Amino acid sequence: MQGQQQQAYDRGITIFSPDGRLYQVEYAREAVKRGTPSVGVRTEEGVVLAVDKRSRSQLMEADSIEKLHKVADHVGIASAGHVADARRLIDFARRRAQLEELRYEEPVDTEVLTKAVTDNIQQYTQMGGVRPFGAALLIGGVSNGEPRLFETDPSGTPNEWKAVAIGADRSEIQDYLEEHWGPDLTLEAGIELALGALATTRDEALEAEELAMGAVEAETAIYSRLGESEINAHLEEVDLEEDEE
Amino acid sequence: MNISDPYEPEIGTVPEETAGSDEVQSAKTGTTSIGVTTAETVVIATDRRASLGGRVVSNKNVTKVEQVHDRAALTMVGSVGGAQSFIRSIRSEAKLYEARRGKPMSIDALGTVASNFLRGGPFFMINPVLGGVDETGSHVYSIDPMGGLSEDDYVVTGSGMQFALGVLEQEYEDDLTHEDGIEIATRAVESATERDTASGNGVTIAEVTEDGVDIHSHEDIDDVLESA
Repeated sequence: MQGQQQQAYDRGITIFSPDGRLYQVEYAREAVKRGTPSVGVRTEEGVVLAVDKRSRSQLMEADSIEKLHKVADHVGIASAGHVADARRLIDFARRRAQLEELRYEEPVDTEVLTKAVTDNIQQYTQMGGVRPFGAALLIGGVSNGEPRLFETDPSGTPNEWKAVAIGADRSEIQDYLEEHWGPDLTLEAGIELALGALATTRDEALEAEELAMGAVEAETAIYSRLGESEINAHLEEVDLEEDEE
Repeated sequence: MNISDPYEPEIGTVPEETAGSDEVQSAKTGTTSIGVTTAETVVIATDRRASLGGRVVSNKNVTKVEQVHDRAALTMVGSVGGAQSFIRSIRSEAKLYEARRGKPMSIDALGTVASNFLRGGPFFMINPVLGGVDETGSHVYSIDPMGGLSEDDYVVTGSGMQFALGVLEQEYEDDLTHEDGIEIATRAVESATERDTASGNGVTIAEVTEDGVDIHSHEDIDDVLESA
């Protein structure tokens, strides 16, 4: 009997269990952990997003793995977890960003955009007949000259970070970030910190084609992707530092 | 998602049909608006006057051309309010397209979006010039208030049209340099300014090149002609 009752909170719509847990949301968080990691680093000079997009087969076109997305001129988003779920949230964010520009003719504030996205995610934890999003996002943007980095999770909670990881091996990568992040990082150092963080959980060396990186510079407030050669140049720097240590 | 309806913006809606009635005395640009293609660029030139009911100059410092895309600009001709909201909608569509696909909209596609919006419901009475540069070259279009989209080497809309066309008919040639493009577009605005009561108060130039859009205004037209 007890077992059956327990199961009732475990299926269908998200409802509280007697001890106050939302199992579906917790399962969605597990789904995020099954995806390859993504890392965000905030520096005074800008926000860096880096994603690990290893594929199971060499025959897969690496460009078709979407984990890093441009959302507006000044905002990029990295995702982890279900790509299909993340895509819905990304498109929501893109539309919301343009809606804000139409309404106010101002670039959407990173925090405002994040909270619009998390409010949307939250609805999927409280309505009937739906399931939560199995994806977490890192939203990096520059608003009023200030770099901001937010995380969203499947419960719809927005958190702001100086540096953060989502996806597989999150806690190990987070430990690395906590050890190495400092308030005086340059953007270049932020890029290398993100690469070093992603490298912690890998046995073999990182390859540029298995990564995607983007950054929003504080000065220009423009999001741009790093090219493969740029990533390679930074990877060499990271390797050198590790050799010194 | 309302992407299935190409006659409406994906974000926002078109205005009510009754809203653009001529009985309301709203600001009109009158205007001379010119788009000229050169060998590798586009030059757009407009005057700077807004008028009310054709009798009052309501503003002498209007920028009637705005960037709507990394490499395209659109002029305001007709109702100022209609043109401003039209520009915001086109700009949002272009940004959404670029964010989603990772590449900018072609100028032809941008023209089609603009044409569809006007056809789908009146964005008030406007008659803009669209000009831009993409991988297929430089393009200018005139767009009529019902959505008619016409590409040409050079186009003019607005109340000063005849005077400006007279100049361009004489001066335009294929493969103009960018500087010559600025000069003839400015001289066309100058002629219209002299003879059309709804055009005047200087010139605004939008230079559209591979590097982007540069918009600058001049109260004295001679400033541009002397430096060109």
